[in-house]
Order: sequence, then structure tokens, then C-alpha cells
Amino acid sequence: MSAELPTGEVIGGAPAAGATGPTRTPLVGGNPGWAGERGDFSHLSEADIRGDSYVGRRPLDGGVGGAVCSMPYQLAAKEPDAPLFEGPYAERAEKIIARYPDKRGALLPLLNLAEEVRGYVGPDAMARVAEILGLSPAYVRGVATFYTMYNRQPVGRYLVQVCTNVACNLCGGDEVLQAFLEHLDVEPGVTTPDGNFTVMEVECLGACGFPVAVQINSRYFENVTPEDVPAIVAGLVAGEDSSDAADGSGAGAGASTAGGAPRRAGAGSSSGAPADEA
Amino acid sequence: MAYPFRHEKETRILSEYFGDPEARTLDGWKKRGGYQALRKAIEMGRDAVIEEVKASGLRGRGGAGFPTGVKWSFMPKEKTGPSYLLVNSDESEPGAFKDRELIRWTPHQLIEGALIGAYAIQADHVYIYVRGEFFEPAQVVARAIEEAYQNGLAGKNILGTGIDIDVTLHLGAGAYICGEETALMNSLEGRRGQPRVKPPFPAVSGAFGRPTTINNVETLCAVPHIINKGAAWYRGFGTEKSPGTKLFNVSGHVVRRGNYEFPLGFPMHELLYDVCGGIRDGRKLKAVIPGGSSVPILAAEECDINLDYESVIAAGSMLGTASVIVMDDRTCMVKQVRRMVEFYAHESCGQCTPCREGTAWVAKIMRRIEAGLGTEADLEKLVDLSTNMTGTTICVLSDSCAAPVMSSLKKFKDDYLGHIHHGACPVAAAAVA
Amino acid sequence: MAITGQGTSAGSDAAGAAAPPPQDLVNCTINGVAVSVPKGTRIIEAAEAAGIGIPYYCYHPGLSAPAMCRMCLVEIEGAPKLQPACVTVVGEGQSILTESAKARAAREGNLEFYLLNHPLDCPICDKAGECKLQDYTHAEGRKHGRVVEPKRVLNQDDFGGDVLYEGDRCIMCTRCVRFMREIAGNDALCVVQRGNRSVIDTFFDEGLDGDLWAGNIIDICPVGALLSKDFLHKARAWDLDRSPSICPNCSQGCNVYVDSRDNLIMRLRPRPNPEVNSYWMCEEGRLEYEWYNRANVPTGTIGMADTIGGGPNPTGRCERPMVRDAQGRLQAATWHDAVVALVQRLGGLRGENGVLAVASPAHANEDVALLHRLAQVLGGGDAVFRVRTAPSEVVCPGFPKLARRRELAANGRGLRAVGFRRVGDDAGAGGLDELTTAGKIILVLGDALADVPETFGADAALFVYLGSEPGPAVRNADFILPVTNFVEQEGTFTNFEGRVQRFWPALEPPPLARPAWQVLGVVLAGLDDGPAPADAASAFLRAAELYEAFGGLSYEVIGGRGALLNEPVQLGAGAAEGA
Repeated sequence: MSAELPTGEVIGGAPAAGATGPTRTPLVGGNPGWAGERGDFSHLSEADIRGDSYVGRRPLDGGVGGAVCSMPYQLAAKEPDAPLFEGPYAERAEKIIARYPDKRGALLPLLNLAEEVRGYVGPDAMARVAEILGLSPAYVRGVATFYTMYNRQPVGRYLVQVCTNVACNLCGGDEVLQAFLEHLDVEPGVTTPDGNFTVMEVECLGACGFPVAVQINSRYFENVTPEDVPAIVAGLVAGEDSSDAADGSGAGAGASTAGGAPRRAGAGSSSGAPADEA
Repeated sequence: MAYPFRHEKETRILSEYFGDPEARTLDGWKKRGGYQALRKAIEMGRDAVIEEVKASGLRGRGGAGFPTGVKWSFMPKEKTGPSYLLVNSDESEPGAFKDRELIRWTPHQLIEGALIGAYAIQADHVYIYVRGEFFEPAQVVARAIEEAYQNGLAGKNILGTGIDIDVTLHLGAGAYICGEETALMNSLEGRRGQPRVKPPFPAVSGAFGRPTTINNVETLCAVPHIINKGAAWYRGFGTEKSPGTKLFNVSGHVVRRGNYEFPLGFPMHELLYDVCGGIRDGRKLKAVIPGGSSVPILAAEECDINLDYESVIAAGSMLGTASVIVMDDRTCMVKQVRRMVEFYAHESCGQCTPCREGTAWVAKIMRRIEAGLGTEADLEKLVDLSTNMTGTTICVLSDSCAAPVMSSLKKFKDDYLGHIHHGACPVAAAAVA
Repeated sequence: MAITGQGTSAGSDAAGAAAPPPQDLVNCTINGVAVSVPKGTRIIEAAEAAGIGIPYYCYHPGLSAPAMCRMCLVEIEGAPKLQPACVTVVGEGQSILTESAKARAAREGNLEFYLLNHPLDCPICDKAGECKLQDYTHAEGRKHGRVVEPKRVLNQDDFGGDVLYEGDRCIMCTRCVRFMREIAGNDALCVVQRGNRSVIDTFFDEGLDGDLWAGNIIDICPVGALLSKDFLHKARAWDLDRSPSICPNCSQGCNVYVDSRDNLIMRLRPRPNPEVNSYWMCEEGRLEYEWYNRANVPTGTIGMADTIGGGPNPTGRCERPMVRDAQGRLQAATWHDAVVALVQRLGGLRGENGVLAVASPAHANEDVALLHRLAQVLGGGDAVFRVRTAPSEVVCPGFPKLARRRELAANGRGLRAVGFRRVGDDAGAGGLDELTTAGKIILVLGDALADVPETFGADAALFVYLGSEPGPAVRNADFILPVTNFVEQEGTFTNFEGRVQRFWPALEPPPLARPAWQVLGVVLAGLDDGPAPADAASAFLRAAELYEAFGGLSYEVIGGRGALLNEPVQLGAGAAEGA
């Protein structure tokens, strides 16, 4: 379980000392707005609810059995030109193909992997997947463009997807979307000049009991109000671990990243800093 | 207890362990009685399992309400090759958020139910299709599948019985239509997620051309309990035609939104006003959509009903996924219906012309009406179009688009007329006043 | 009936097929008409057999049926929902209604949806006049549109090859996508996006260039979304005359329609034949028709009247009989004079030094049979033909009976069947040098002799050229007789597998041109060899009398679907190659 990341990224925590350029820190957990409505379960931490410690660190090669097809989202940031299906991902692709009686069945999982690594599915990714599965590139294009989640172009580091469908709409979905757009001063679907944010409106995210639901990369932020927006954005930009202070649980244990996977510092560790693992 | 609020009246069967982080682990689940039902089911034998589920009266919880035991009995008795059980966790219906809780709190409950179902119908492989946006709960399921494999509960020689059942997690990529059973099969097969013409039916030719059964997450989560405690016990809850419990996912303008598990037939008024704390801000109820955006809207005066399949049909709507969306009197029906119709237009797969063109056109008309540029002739057009979009397509997405339009035109015409005659939303104007 | 590959080769479909046993029949009524069809027949096929039309877009008898256009919805009495006729199998005792109020209302509503975003391009759309959207809307659609919102606008997209895509007009029937998957076998088209944003495209810029079968999607597109660049804005559908014919460009013998206007061929389209080409034809055949348009001939060339005093005009069309006079000059002559003179000369030379007969594989069985007969009557000799041949054949993946064959002419097999042998190279040239011409009677039919030296035939006893275009070598011809080419006459071709298929004239020939079988028949009659056939059917019967391969065949037997020759597969020399 110690596969090297294709891009040599460090998951989680502070950037390496002395690093220059845009920081590659992933999203970190905690308030504001992750799922503020915990109702009668206020003793639970965010990690408890998301199941971070249970999930642990999903291996890049997919792990065992039918788990191989889930996305790792280990990578802190997408590289639009990253190599596809190399290293542990190559092995994973083989394992995925083996789960289906017809190679074609592996199409969505492989496209998911390509999206995971590159942040979007472009013509060369489609052609590559087509080649691996023995399908025509046009066919793969037809399938890839059918599904909303395959971005056709690279998006910002944080893809902010605001649900404005009816249950969230009743509770201010349009206003939250407006708040993001205004705060980031950007049009829907357009990436901010610094490359950090793309905001878009999406359909029901399946978190209707916690309106307004916003999905940022792989992570759900729930019970978001327009007032929460500046803090959410600031938290993403800073990459600070504000979970301890804001959610009151004081644990910060296994606080998840919006990259989805918990930090490499290990499941359930109480320390927030992963520097020893780097 | 459901999530995130618990109510003492609830019947905790599926949602017992919501809020209990240990319950999602294999050890934790076993400690709580997990996987005994699987063992028992294998000892009972396939036919006995199917009979038990039939006798329990369990109905599909994905919206259609088709009796699960009967569905399982459609699978061929003679096995001529591979066959599959597909778990529909594509939960994309606006208003539905129960399956997400089930898979992130009790993934092993689902896996156990799926294994029992697969065993009963002689399926070799369970594919759990989780919508792509559910990345986080999917990771939980992935880990649970891994635990199952590592502990002899899935894969080869389950529990030493010589039975082989594989379990694979398959993630979707953002398409509501993939929640339709044949579209899900197409999506699983690596195709565009477009529904198929039936016949052939899935039990004859489904995923990869093989006999297939598809069940919803909530349906399968009930199965271990039915096996453990028996059909008669299950029938002790709910009504005669709608036995068992249901997770009611309540959203919208109530004080305490969330999932609540009650026996079917639970009164809607009690759910809204007692369990959920009533309408927020002390407002009045205007409308309720009892089963997710695809079912007709009920006006407030039609809401004093019991929430079971038959009663909701009698009231002119459908229970569907029991996704209760509550709207108070500050809600503009035109705006909400417009948003719903835009959803259907966005999600239409595009195969059938009435849906592909009709949903988009209805969306355009609704936008015009909302912007104050509509006429009464538009209302007649909407009724006409909705009629043409109902019953003429391969799947019922266009029917689902027509349902809120027709029901809102019938029951909330004043909202429309306000936009038409005054060029502005009557509700918004009233709210300001 | 839909083509299921079960038709017989003799005559019409039903005639030779045995009736299915009664217990395998299903009885139903369609619009009150009792219909009895084999079990498993779909409603749409049953209706067609009963002469009842059901509209459809996405269904095509040569492709899979996705039941998505929803035009073919019919009412089955007792069933709550309308059913798509293209996939629903007829049930015993059903009463099927295609014109009930419900069915009509569904079609009217559906047609309104089709027109929602459809640009009203009819005035500039090539498909007008043969467009199913026009036809159905005119028959059953709403009289007035109700759309006030702007229509979605898509772009024109050049798919490469001959195909132009007009996205606005597309009704998303996906026939083209399914064709490329199931018949062309390369899955080169896809539907991009979903819902109202759907559009057809290739893999980005990849295009359809080089695909031999892609042109068929133009035919099967029910509307003007897929257009032929070759045919773009060339002619209106209602101006076209349609004549059934056979594609002359290889030995497959695809059945075609020749669409012409103003005596020019505007385009070819495939004609269905389950034994030969299904519903398809290849691009090389489809786009190669200019060579038999007279328009290619420079205008103002009225035969070779201006050749008096000089050699024959090397360009242009043979338009009148020409006879070389004693001074060696070609003079125009009437048919009567030309034939009388020819018969006289031939009679005198009969049996002396033999004959060299050179035929063209673009000429009909009737023509070449009588040419061979003439050669024999005159004492026999060499009977040869040249033909262009491709290095390999290209089989249609989805219908392997169909291929672009190696031999790039229609009637090589027919020539071989009557005793011609192939000479020359794969470019269709050469092969004549080894054959002596000195003192012989040279009979050339159709071969333009473009590659022979200037002196070819100069030492012949008599050189007769029957053709439509004179090549340079006819400078030595004694008789130049204008004949029709295949598109101007009735006749038959024999394809690579020995199937004799009829074709009918599509164009008017030059006024004085005659079918070669007619000319040769008269000449033979002049030489006391049988009566001259009065029509093509008689000419064919004469060929059948004379040549065993055609024995027993006649135009009645051949019918519209063709009939196989009597001879075994293996023929004489020259048959092994090409074909």
C-alpha cells in the first residue's frame, strides 16, 4: 500500500517547506458549511459522518475485489497533461476490466479514472480508453459526452457545484449560487483567472435534507447559506485546517480533505500534521 | 433512528444504526447481528427465501413499488449462464436522500441484503451502481466490499458454503436517467445511459444480455431483517397492501428536515406537523410533493392522507420514493415547476422525440411565463403538450415532466395567472406586502 | 416485405417460397383487415404486407429498430398504452388500429415536437420533395405552428467524404449512427451530448473520408440533415426521372436507381435487392456516373460530319454511322446504307482469315452475345476483352454478400459466359499486341482502344467499330457505328456470381444511336443467321438459345431480382482473376 503517486504529490497537510508557486494543498474539512445540520447527532464529528476513518486510505491500485472501480481522488490537484493508465493506475485498469464480462463495461470506470487524473476527459483520453477497450473513439465520445460529470475542458482547482433543484431551491439554492458567483466575480462555467474556481449549477445532489447542498470537487458541503460562502472560499484558498475551531468537536481526527481521502497521516490519528509521512 | 433528527415514534429497522459509526464496519455490523441473515438464507434455500420475501409483501422502494419477491421469481429457474443482481443506488430524484444515508451508515446492511438477493435469484455477480456524485458514500461502500471479500462473505465460497457471488462497485457519471432500470443496465455496460424498449424484460435479457434483476438500496436493506425475523413480523408494520417500514425523506419548508423511518400508512399530517416540527417560520402549508418531483403535486387541502402506496394514489399522486417536499405559502409554484421542468429537460436522454423536444419546450414556456411574458394560451399549450408527452415514450421521464405541470396548472392556476396578468410573481409580491 | 435475406433468386419473392405451416401463423386484424403472418412478425411488417402504411423514421428494414422516433405508435385494442409497431410482435387475435383517434393524436403531437426546432429550410433543402418530415406533416401534422420561442441553432458540419451534416435539420433518428455501427462496421458516428443538445458527429475531426459505405447514410436520412456534397443544390427531387438500373462500376452489380433530369444523370441511389446489395451501395459506384453523361462530351460535336477530308474527330460521341469511302475518308451514312455495305463486305470476307473481336465489359449480355455470334459466323477467331481490376475487394462488414469487387466493370462474367476471354493488365490496357490483326476482320464493341498504337487495325481486312465514344484508334476503322451505352438501353448484366440482372434505360441516346444488339442482330440477319431480334427481350432469348450459360433464362424469369446463370462457378481462362 505504498504506491507512488503518479505526480509525486503529497496528499494532505502543509506544503513542503520552501515550496514556491501555487500551493498544492487539498481542501480540508470542518466548518463552515460542511453539514452543519447534525440535529440530534451533535456528538458526531464530520469524520464520523463521512466515514473517513473507516475508509482509510484507498489504495491507488484499487484494492480488493469489487472495490477497484471506485475513484481514489487521492490527488490533490488535477494535471491536465498527466499520463493516463500508468503506474498503479495501469494495474488498476486491468483489474477493473476483469470485473466485467464485456470489456465495454469498464468504459465508465476508465473514464472516471482519466477524469480523476486529468480533471477532464478530452479527445486524447477518449482515444486512449477506446484503444484499451477495443471500441471506436467516436463511440467513446458518444458515451463520455452523455454524462454530466465528465468535464470536456479542464476546470478550476475547485469545481463548485451548487444544487438549485427544487428541494434546495425552496431553501435558497439560487441565492447561494449567486453568492458564489458574486463573491468570486465569475460567470457560471467559467474558471476564475487564477485558475482556482469554476462555479456551476447542478441538479439534485441527493442531500435534500441539508439544503443548500454544494459539491466542491468530490466533497459535499451542506446547509450552505449565502453568508457561509466567503468563509468556504477562504478556507479552500488557504487550505487551512479550521475544523478544530469551527465545529466545536475539537478532535479534527481524521478530518477529511475535499480531495476525499483522509490524510496519509493515517486513519484516525489525532494529529493534523502529516509532515512525518511526507 | 433516522438522520439527523430522531423521533420517538419512529420504527427503527433499516435506520437503527444511523449515527453509529461503528455499525458501518464489518465487525461492528456483525456485533449488531449482521450476516446472520445471510447464513440463514443459504440454509433456507433459494426458493424458501423468495417465498419469504414474497410473503412479507416487501415492495420496491425505488419508486415503482413492485413486489420484490414477485420480481425475484421472474428470474429463470434453470440457470443457463451468468445472471446478475444490480443495486440501484443512482438516487437522483429531486427530494430523495435516503439511499445516501443507508449506504454511508450501514453499507454492510446493503451488501448483506444484496448477497441474499443474489443467492435467491442465482445471480453470480452483484453490481452496486452508485451515482458518480456520491463519491464519499461510495468510498464507504468500497471499503465495505473489500471487508466482505477479505472475510469470506463475498467472492468465492461464501461462508464456506461453496457459493460464489462477486460484488462490484460501479460508479455513474452524472445522469438522472440512469436510475431507470434499463438505462442503468446500459450505463453499466458502458453505453450511453438510454432506457431500452421492453420487452425483452430484464429477467429475460438484461445486463450484458443475461437475466438480471434490479433492486433499490432501501429494498435490499430490508431483506436481512425479513429473513431474520420472518415475513409475518414484517407484515406487522404498515398496511395490508403496503407492508413494512419506509424511510421518509422530508425536505423543504419544515423545521426538521431529514430521514424518518415509519411504517407505511403513517399519516402525512403527523409527519409534517409533529415529527418534522411543522412549517418553518410559522407559515402555512401550500403544497406537498409526496414522492419526489416526478409525482403530481398535492395542494395543502389534499394532504390529510396516509402515506402508503394506495392512499397516495387515491389522493391523485404517487408515493414513489416517499421523498416529501414541503412548500409553504411563500412558494411560487411557477418558479418551482419551472425549475423542475428544467431539470427534466437537462436530464432527458434524447432518444424519444416527445421527451427530447417536449421537455425543452415546456421549460422555455415556463421561463417565459415566469418572466411575465406568458399568455393564457400558453396554459392551454402546456396542458396539450403535457398530454402529448404522457404515455408516448420508451420511459416515463417525459411523463414525470408532465406531472408537476399538469398538477400545478390544475391546483395553482392563480400563481400562473398572476405571472401572466401582472407580469410578476403574485407570491413574491404578497411576501413583500 | 422487409428484406430478411430469405428471398429466392428466381422471379419475385413470394413465388418460390413455401408457405409456412398454419400453426406458425398468427391472425390479427389491422384497421379491420384480416391479416395472417408468420409468428414473430412485427406489426410494421404485417401492416406493410397488408398494404397499410405506418409512418416511421428510426426504423429501417436493414438496420436494428430502437423504437425511439415514436412515429409508428399504434393502438392495440384493449392495451392501455400505444405500442411502437416497429418492435411489437403481432399477437394472436389482436385488433390493431393505426388510424384511431388516439393513434392520430399521437402522431400529430409527435410531428409538432419534430418541427419545434426544425428550421423551415424547405426552399433551400435538397431533401424537399422526398422528405419524410414534409410528407408526414403534410398528411397529418398541425396546420399552424405554436412555437414563439427561438429555435436552437446548430452548425453545418462537413463529415468528410461526400457527406454534409446540417445539425438543425436532424431529427435524431440515429439511422446514420446505427448504419456506421452495423453495416459499415466502424462505429464512426456517435450522438454527442444528450437531450435537446444532442447532435451527430464523428470523433472530432476524424471524419468519414475513405469509408466506402458512408454515402448510404445520405440515402437513409429521412430528412435533409445528411446531404450529398456531390448532389448539393443540383436538382430538385420532383424534377428527377427515376430509372431502375445496375451500377456499372464493378462486378457486384448493385441494383440502383438512376436519377436524371434534362437527359443528364444527377445521382445514383441504391435499389434494394436482398440477394445482391441489400439496401446499400459503395461510394465508388455511387459517385462514378459522370462518365456516362453525354454532357461530358463537348457540345457542338454533332458526330463527325466535319471530318470529311480529315481523320475522325478524336473527341466527342459517335452520333451517326460513318463509312470509309474508297478514298479512305469517313463519310456519314444512313443506317440503311451503312448496314447494307457492311453486310456486303462481311459476306465477302467470311471464313477467310478469321476475326478479332474486342468487347467492353460495360456492354450488356445481349450486345456481347450477338457480337460473339457474329464473330463465329464469320469464321471464328479471338474474342477478348480488357477490364480494369483493383488489387483487392472491399467487403461490406454488415452485409458480406456485398463488396466492391476487384473487377471494375459490370459484365465481365457475361462476356466470359459467351466465350470472351480477358487479356491485358489491371489498368485495363494492353493485351492486344500479341493478337494479329493482319487480314482479319476486326470487330470492336465499346472498347475505346485508347492505348493501342495509331496503326492498329490498319492491316485488317475490315475494321468495324461499334461504340459510343471513338478512341484515337478508330482512325483506321472502316465502319463506325454509333451504339447506345447501358444507361440508354434496356438489357442485362451478369454479375460476379453469375446473376443476370435487368436494367432499363434512363437517358435518351443520340437520335441515331442504336443498341448494339439491334445493329448486330440486323447484320446477322443479313448474313442469314436468324431473324433480327425486335426488342431486348428477344435479343436475350436469342442469346439464351445460342449460349448454354443463359439457357432457360428470360426476362420473365429474371424479373426484378435477377436469376443465376446455368454454368458452374469456374469458367474459362480469365475467370480466376478479377471477378
